[in-house]
Order: sequence, then structure tokens, then C-alpha cells
Amino acid sequence: MRGPPPRHPDDHREQLPAVEGVIEDAATLAPGDRVVYPNQGVCAVVGVEEKDIAGQKLELVRMRREEDGAAVLVPKNKVPSIGLRRVATGGQIEGVFHYLAAQFDDPELDWKVRHRDNADRLIAGGVLGVAEVVKGLHSLSRIRPLPTKEREQYDNARHLLVHEVAVSLGVAPALAEDYIDYALMPPAGVKFDLKPPPTPVLLPSRPKRRRPAAGEGEEGMEDLGLADLGLGDIDLGAALESVDAPAEEGEAEGAEGEAKAEGAEAAPEEAAEGEGEEEEAPRKKAAAKAKPAKAPKAAAKAEKPAAKKAAPAKKAAPAKRAEKPAPAAKKPAAKAAAKRGGKKK
Amino acid sequence: MIRIVTLDPIDPSDMAFLTATLYRAFGLGTEHAGERPMPREAERKDGRVDAVKFLAEVAPVRTFADDKVLYITASPLALPEGPLGEPPCWGFSQYGGERAVISTSRLPARGVSEASIENFRRRLAREAIHAVGHLWDLHHCYDPKCAMHPSWSPGLPANPEMDLDTFCREKSERRIRLAKT
Repeated sequence: MRGPPPRHPDDHREQLPAVEGVIEDAATLAPGDRVVYPNQGVCAVVGVEEKDIAGQKLELVRMRREEDGAAVLVPKNKVPSIGLRRVATGGQIEGVFHYLAAQFDDPELDWKVRHRDNADRLIAGGVLGVAEVVKGLHSLSRIRPLPTKEREQYDNARHLLVHEVAVSLGVAPALAEDYIDYALMPPAGVKFDLKPPPTPVLLPSRPKRRRPAAGEGEEGMEDLGLADLGLGDIDLGAALESVDAPAEEGEAEGAEGEAKAEGAEAAPEEAAEGEGEEEEAPRKKAAAKAKPAKAPKAAAKAEKPAAKKAAPAKKAAPAKRAEKPAPAAKKPAAKAAAKRGGKKK
Repeated sequence: MIRIVTLDPIDPSDMAFLTATLYRAFGLGTEHAGERPMPREAERKDGRVDAVKFLAEVAPVRTFADDKVLYITASPLALPEGPLGEPPCWGFSQYGGERAVISTSRLPARGVSEASIENFRRRLAREAIHAVGHLWDLHHCYDPKCAMHPSWSPGLPANPEMDLDTFCREKSERRIRLAKT
């Protein structure tokens, strides 16, 4: 039994039963055999040949795609892993038709899951997997038009299915398509005597998303490349603690107060909170512009660098308590209002 | 080039409408290439014509590379029975090939009123586009507004459109661009 190749080296491959007809040994292939190359279509085996590629002698299975005669060369040892399989048998094709004609459950609505599963089905699902893609996307198209990528996927899947059914039944592709669509979209009043459809194809599990472990995260924080920027002396831990520290409440309150004062300036009559939130970004810009102007004054008053930040907060703090904004808080607000096209005071 | 061959008489105005519509749909020159007799080998005991045998046995017309030949007959067509029964047949094409046949037997009757004639012409043009679309590698389309939607579908409106949808049109244009000539 061989499934598709693992998608991630760490991921444990789930042991699933192989799709019926998968070729597990290239030695069983003989010239003239008809096989199905996943996502390529029906090919006829031409023979095995040896080629010297990059200094290595490789045994290659040469195939010819029946649709257009394109040459397909596969290393002999890769044959089991690419999902090459025999053309579907009569029993499999009958199952496909009963599946196509059956009532379909709700199609998968999450496009990411759907697209990923459909891609897997086309590669590893056998003829029934291809039929599942056609049926699933067809059912979805009745709800809403398919996006471009899925429209192409639907067309490709239909193309593969039509050709495999045509080869298996020994009929022309156009006739095979009529048979498929007769099952998929039966005319009004036609009811089929259907057998239970075959069990859906099991797909190998995808690798789970890897989340960094706690240790990895800390390492990442330490290695931010700050030393390269000449900021190696900064104590990140202390800086992060200081963000949450209650000692900074004044600053936060001050900023809030300033913002409220500005908001009051911009909309004197009961500014709604929602509006305040919307205009938060421009206000911050205005505040950022206003701060350098204040900074020299504050620097002169306060010796510590922390006081520079605290100074405007202290000025703005009374504005929060008082109904009317303080004159100190008015200036930046006026600038911001002027920049937004508001009225000047 | 699309060459139309008739097996039964067809009104010249209908033929003019059909050639103009096919030209608009595929951007290829379209002409009436004459009449041919019905091959005896294709006739079935139930009075219908086996569409697959018909295309194999019908008398050829002179063509060049990438020419498509569309046969129009008034006889009802039939297809071999499939795994779930015999699908109804409006026409049949050699997928990606040269020949296609459509039948007017299932189309709405061509009466004497303007409306019925218009209805007949539009439906004939739709089936012709459908058949020629298969010749240019187009598959059936899920969109009922597209001419490539199966003709027997319950979702098909009473008076269906005779245009290809965007996906099918672009695909056919790509195929035609990549054609040998």
C-alpha cells in the first residue's frame, strides 16, 4: 500500500488503503498498457528506457498521453509514489455513475478546505475521487457561480473524468460526457434505479499547522536583531513590564484625557464615542505633531526623561475633570481640527 | 472555417441567421457547403439515426486543416445506451475533432408566425454553437445561460440563450488561437 508522498517530513503518514488499481511495482507495466497519470489523464505505456541524466543512469518508463500524444517520462522507482493507476474497471465506472446520479449532501462551503480536498482527490482519489470533485463543484455551482480557480478545477476534473470513462467504456469522449451529464443532470421526469454509491475516498491527513512552542517564542523575542541596530542595551523584559505597570497609569490617563479633550474640540456638542474611535488615528498624528513643540518646555521643567511624557498628561488631566477643555489642551486640538478641515478657534 | 452541410432542405433565411450567429460566437468564417445524402448504415430500425455511426459514415466535404463541419438533419438522432440508459440526443460531436451533427427534430416547430420562426432560429443556433463548441474542446457547462449547457437539462429555460459564457468563450478563443492555421 502506498499513499501520496508526505507533505511534511515530521508528519506521520496515515496508513490508508490504496486506491483500487494503483500500480505498486513498475515491473508490472508492459508496453501497450493503458494507465492513468493523476492530473494528466490516460497514457499508454511505450516501454522502459535507460537515460544518462546528470551523470546518473536512470531507468525511465516512457508513456504517451493519449489525448495529445505528449511524451511522459517517469523514473521507474518513482512509479509507485506518483499514484499511477490502471484505467478504471467496469465495476468502478458503474459505481461512479451511481455516485453521480445520487442525491448530494451539502457541498463544502469553506473554499480553502474545499480547494485543498479537491486537489488531493484529483491526485490520490482514483476515478471516484475525480467524480467527487465534479459532483461537489457542480452541486456548489447550483448555489452560486464558481470562482475562476474552481471553475478551472471543475473543467479539468470533468476533462479527466470524461476521458477515463471514454477509455473504460470504449466510447467517444463526447458520448462519455453525455452519459456523465445524463447522470449528473437528468432530464425532468427521469428517475434512475440506483444502487448505493461506493464509499467516498479517504484522503491522507494534512500536516497540522505548527505553532511555535513557548521556548521557541522566548528565543524569538531575544533574537530580534536589536544588537545589529545598535539597540542591544535595551532591556526588553523591563520595557514590557513597564507597559503593564500601574506607574504608567498617569500617562495612559493623560493620553485618554488629551484625546477626549481633542474630541470635545472637534465636536463640541456631545461627541459620540464611536466618532472618537474613528478619528483616533488622525488625532494621534496631530498629537504626535504637537508633542515636539511642547517637549522643550516640559524638558526645562522636568529633569527626568519620564517627566517629558508625563508633562502633557498632567496638563491634560484637568481637562478631563472639567467640562470645558483647558487652554493648554486646546492648541493641539485646534491644529488637528484645522488639519481635518474643522473650524478654527 | 465552419462548413455547414445540410441533409434536408433548410430555409435560406434560417441559414443566413445561423452562419451569422456562428461567426459571432467563434469569430470564424462560416458557409453553407452544400447537401449530402443520409448514410444508410446509420439508420436504425426504430426510424432514428445513430449519431455515432452517422459521423463515421456520412459523405465528407472538402476541408482544410482546422475546418469544422456541421451536419444538420431533420431526422431524429439516437445515441448508444449508457450505464444509466440512453441520453436524449439533440446533436453529437467528435470531441476536438472535425465533424458534428445536429437534428432539428427536437427543436420547437417552425410555424408561420414571426415569434415561432425566431424561436426556431435561436434554438437551432444554440444547438449549432453547442456542437461546434465540442469540436473546439469545450465541455458541458453548468451555467444554464451558456450554450454549452446540456440541452436536456431541467434547468434550461424555455427560450435559452445562444451565447457562450465567459469561461467557455475564452477557452474556445484560446483553442482557436492555438490551432494550426
